[in-house]
Amino acid sequence: MKFKKLIVKSLLVSCLLVGLPFHEGLVYAQEKVKVNFWHAMGGWRIEVIDRMVADFNLQHPGIEVKAEFKGGYDETFIATMAAAKAGKAPHVVMVVQYSTQEAIDSGIFGGAEELLNRFGFKVNWADYIDQVLHTYRVGGKLYSFPWASSTSVLFYNKTMLDKAGQKLPYKPTFNDIIQVGRTLVKGGHTRHAITWPLHYWFVEQWMAQAGQNLVDNDNGWSGRPTKANLTSDAVKKIYEWWKQLNDERLWVNPGRVAWGEAVRIFVSGEAAMFISSTAHVALLQKEASEKGFQVATTYIPILDGTKRNGCSIGGGTLWITKDHPDKELKAATEFVFWLSETAQTIRWHQNTGYFPVKKTAVDALKKEGWFVAQPNYKTAFDQLLETVSIPATRGAVFGGFREVIDHMETGFEKIVGGEPVPKALADMSEKATKSIKEYQRLERK
Amino acid sequence: MQSYFSGRWTPYLLITPMAIVCLLFIFYPMVETTILSLYKVSFFGLKKIYIGFENYRNLFTSSDYLHTVWLSFIFAGAVMVLTMPVSLCLALLANQKIRGITIYRIFLIWPYALSFAAAGTIWFYLFNPTVGIINYLLNLGFGIKPDWVSDRTLALLMIMITTSWKMLGYNIVFYLAGLQNIPMEILDAAGIDGANAFQKFRKITLPLLGPTHFFLFIMNLLSCFFESYGMIAIMTKGGPDYATNIMIFKLTQDGFTYFNSGYASAQSVILFVIVCTLTLIQFRTTEKLVHYGGA
Repeated sequence: MKFKKLIVKSLLVSCLLVGLPFHEGLVYAQEKVKVNFWHAMGGWRIEVIDRMVADFNLQHPGIEVKAEFKGGYDETFIATMAAAKAGKAPHVVMVVQYSTQEAIDSGIFGGAEELLNRFGFKVNWADYIDQVLHTYRVGGKLYSFPWASSTSVLFYNKTMLDKAGQKLPYKPTFNDIIQVGRTLVKGGHTRHAITWPLHYWFVEQWMAQAGQNLVDNDNGWSGRPTKANLTSDAVKKIYEWWKQLNDERLWVNPGRVAWGEAVRIFVSGEAAMFISSTAHVALLQKEASEKGFQVATTYIPILDGTKRNGCSIGGGTLWITKDHPDKELKAATEFVFWLSETAQTIRWHQNTGYFPVKKTAVDALKKEGWFVAQPNYKTAFDQLLETVSIPATRGAVFGGFREVIDHMETGFEKIVGGEPVPKALADMSEKATKSIKEYQRLERK
Repeated sequence: MQSYFSGRWTPYLLITPMAIVCLLFIFYPMVETTILSLYKVSFFGLKKIYIGFENYRNLFTSSDYLHTVWLSFIFAGAVMVLTMPVSLCLALLANQKIRGITIYRIFLIWPYALSFAAAGTIWFYLFNPTVGIINYLLNLGFGIKPDWVSDRTLALLMIMITTSWKMLGYNIVFYLAGLQNIPMEILDAAGIDGANAFQKFRKITLPLLGPTHFFLFIMNLLSCFFESYGMIAIMTKGGPDYATNIMIFKLTQDGFTYFNSGYASAQSVILFVIVCTLTLIQFRTTEKLVHYGGA
């Protein structure tokens, strides 16, 4: 009898032992918290993000992050708003700098600092580069996690310029571009001197350099703005320079916000210079070496005779939507917290060109000798560190920004079509002011 | 009709599913849109204020908007003139009895399988003024490199050409079907009477294709007014300087990019009225011209 009991008991125990892993596995699968992450990083960057996400998932067995490329910044933002309305907002979303105010006003996002405190994650904000915090801390609150930050830099085909015996200063002015450009085209080295996408961002950068605010009330920092500032002398000179480049066929128009086209034009040697985002460093170095030429970078050119104030920050930050169960919010916060760790910051920087947003990351990179070996990655960064903190270089923050962008881009197209600069600017300014006011009309309610 | 159904309520029962779908997905949104067009709505739809006809007033006094209305007609007209005759010619060719005709047919119908956005992406690369193949060939042949991106007229022309190309597949399918429905006896009889190929085409094929012309006209019109959005969004984003900003593009931009739902609703009401009117006129005037005696 005793023997029989023993057999039964041991059978039961072995069943349990055998079953345990299966059982646990099942529980695991059920308990994995799913986090959806929508980003706007197309092309070669999709893979970079996917690899990072895979690593995170591996290190955090209880969480499963799913990254999805949703198109450009605007598409991602629009898709998020639509999803939020339908109650299916993704947990983590990448939002571009110019949509900051609208993201705050939408009320669908939880504040970054609040979430971190709530779930007990400690972030040393002092470790973040000051300029980054200046750009994204609105009304004393940090709503999002700075991550894919960029500034604009000038890329040039060094092989071509060397052959033509031309040299571009590390801190060029508008006039340098015209002079070098003319020589290159006249000498038959290239068909066009320079390209960049027809995009407001560059105008904003040149305005920041010249200390010009895009909108009043200190670029929106001391209160909601009431009008656009697009008719000043500096703005006029910026558009006139651009128009001159266009009229002399020195600048080639790749199309509106056409980053991909602009890259092709530069890489194919149809233009000697390319003003773009630092996010393009990794891509351009690779493409250029395949085409057999060398790429070098400089600061972006500025208006002659003005002080170089520095650049404003573009690119995206990570936002967390708040309408989720605590468990998911915590997982989402953990994911973003992980992404903001120094190691990940470095990895992201090295694989793309977006600058590292943390001081510890910069120190580590310096120690490694990274910036000496890779001077093109350094340019944007130097430019950023030399930036004077004034409202113009903090970037503008206001609602209705995307409409103002459209007016600024259409305005230049009018100029290309032959409209005199002052008239186009007056028209642009009037429309932009109207868009700002219309947005405010509802916010005041 | 009554005799087909046993009960008095059966016909009503049978149309109920369709009626529900229409009510839910067509009439309800239509009414909502019309109501919304009288409001100013905040960008996330959380706040709205009643403003009466202000949206409409703003639209009709905005030179930008009136331009988009005018442009939509020009655009649709040009695309129609471009795509329908070409489709018919290609359909005539694809209707010949030659070896491997099915292969040709498949290739001809191919554009239809692409979305407007995909077609737009492909064509935008081809039309790229600096590195595109079209300018490369134009430069080889004529020594010119037109700027399809910055020039207002050329940008519009580019969108017209690509939209026409995109419609080819659809049109060819229907023209082919129409052509194959033309009774051979009539053509044979005409042949015996001594009509040559052109006369047969002019006097028999063309008129007997009447219903097809009519159907395709409406479908192309709708495509131009609504679906061409994808092409424009990819290729020109309504630019340069509103040169390709047709009504549907402006509407979508205001509604979904800038979240001005009220303003966009007013535009969609106007667009709806215009397209309805066009279709009605079309029905009235072509009734006399269309022969439904084909098959």
